[in-house]
Amino acid sequence: MSSLPLTLPAPTQCPMPNAHYPCFVMTATILAPSTQLPPSSHEFAPVIHRLEAGGAMLPDTPENLMQIIGIYKAYAVPMDFYWRDLLYIAERVFLNPFPFFKYFLPKEYLDLHNHYAGDDADLRIWRGEATAHPELLAFMEKGETFKMPKLLHHLWHDRINMEFAEACMRAMLWHRGMGGNFDPYLDTDEYKANADRAIKAYFKGNPVMLGLYQMFPEMFIEQVRQLSYYSNLGLFWEVMAPVFFEMSDRYDAGDIKSVPEAMNFLVNAIFAMAGRPIYHHVHIRGEVYEIIPKSCGFMWLYEAALPYVEAVFYRTAPFRGTKSYNAQAKQVPDNQKDFHYGILYADVFPVGTAGIPPTLLMQDMLHFLPKYLVDYYHQHCRGEDDMLIQLGISFQRSMYVVTSAVIQALRTALLYPLDDPNPRHLQANRAFFETQIDRFKRPEARLRDVQSQNYR
Amino acid sequence: MADIVDIAVSAGSFQTLVTAVQAAGLVDTLKSPGPFTVFAPNDDAFAKLPPGTIHTLVQNIPQLARILTYHVVPGRLMAADIAKLNCLTSVEGSEIRIDTSHGFEVKNATVIAPDIEADNGVIHVIDTVILMG
Repeated sequence: MSSLPLTLPAPTQCPMPNAHYPCFVMTATILAPSTQLPPSSHEFAPVIHRLEAGGAMLPDTPENLMQIIGIYKAYAVPMDFYWRDLLYIAERVFLNPFPFFKYFLPKEYLDLHNHYAGDDADLRIWRGEATAHPELLAFMEKGETFKMPKLLHHLWHDRINMEFAEACMRAMLWHRGMGGNFDPYLDTDEYKANADRAIKAYFKGNPVMLGLYQMFPEMFIEQVRQLSYYSNLGLFWEVMAPVFFEMSDRYDAGDIKSVPEAMNFLVNAIFAMAGRPIYHHVHIRGEVYEIIPKSCGFMWLYEAALPYVEAVFYRTAPFRGTKSYNAQAKQVPDNQKDFHYGILYADVFPVGTAGIPPTLLMQDMLHFLPKYLVDYYHQHCRGEDDMLIQLGISFQRSMYVVTSAVIQALRTALLYPLDDPNPRHLQANRAFFETQIDRFKRPEARLRDVQSQNYR
Repeated sequence: MADIVDIAVSAGSFQTLVTAVQAAGLVDTLKSPGPFTVFAPNDDAFAKLPPGTIHTLVQNIPQLARILTYHVVPGRLMAADIAKLNCLTSVEGSEIRIDTSHGFEVKNATVIAPDIEADNGVIHVIDTVILMG
């Protein structure tokens, strides 16, 4: 770039000593409610008006802010494991038919530099270190019990629940077709040829597996598609972990003082990261096989973030063992696009049902709660296991803020500024907000509940 | 007459766009006979993007090229031609919504200078960077 005659706007420098890296700044504007449009007649009119004023779906209260930031921090630590292990599985474990040790993250991946933290970051979102978070490393060593060999921690299930990350990945794979070019690419001849090269290289000298591949090629290609989604989600979360760590640090330092400020930090992060490449590379015997090359032009926003939000926040699938559904009575929608079992609709109460993904995540977050949140939950505790439910509901609140950020980011990208002087543009913004909020009209949605602090 | 790139360079208000086009290796394409219709965001339009957006794109050329080619449509389409259409298909492959019922709007951007003719196409200057979706 330095040889070019013209320059692009320079990224802002971090306000830290010796900082030479590009850094990420936050801007937040809260507007007075628009007087140019008549009040909305939507069922959630107060929420629509709040969004139009630059706010979030979650009311702006100090209690909400404390809960969402505390949860972001508690989420970011296991997420630091998730993204590293997702990439490890996509890039190294690959098609291992007996992947017993896929959750045993090698040092190489614990030391892998996050591209958005540390001194050598592409864009420094978090001012912390690029390698695995110290609280994660401490937990991996001792767990809830005590220091013992990794295998015993694994078998005792005293570890990070990677199964949660895999459930999110599977939700993306299962729903497919949620926009972006990544998913259609998985069905192209080019993708299949790339996968074929990698499969043959991986099983080189293994006549049994190569024979099986010859007999059931589609089964192997489908497995590679799943591994491509491992990579997709790993690259997505590699960004989100430093974003959440930075938000927590800024809150602790008093730099994030309101829910809209927190949301705007996320909006800016979404834009800053939008162009991050989404790809799938596999490392086989020292050689890199580009199953989805960076040159495809797939972007973090379109090919990872938006499909992720759709699949995981909105859709997913009913969790086995939590509730019975009568499909004949249309309790399960005919169309996958109408599925509504994500965190924004979840009944958080049936936690403790062993193995369901939200419980696994809540158990992971429980280990890394900041003290202020532990104290807060103790004030309202209904019993020994109640903290899991309370943090699950805080998590739900926090994901309503992330979803608000996505909605505001899409409005910024595709529509008009909130203070646009043109009433026709403001009306278009309102129509967009109302369409988005329509998805929370159904009775399972928790948008009504999170408006009150009594929902806990 | 000059080509699309020469006009953008000489105008002086497309410094970010020209730099991005150079970084993405699209100069030769936009100097080729085409013809192309380019919706050209000016420097103020790029400045409206949240911080870091351009920084990440410039580090990732295929992704930058994708955003830029979303601003290009094959053919020489003057404002009067576009007024007859509801949407255009960009070189990137995604559609661009057009609204000429109140002025000349391209998605959420407003055309502030239409019909700047070049040897190999036409430029319409827009006040906002348009994004797919």
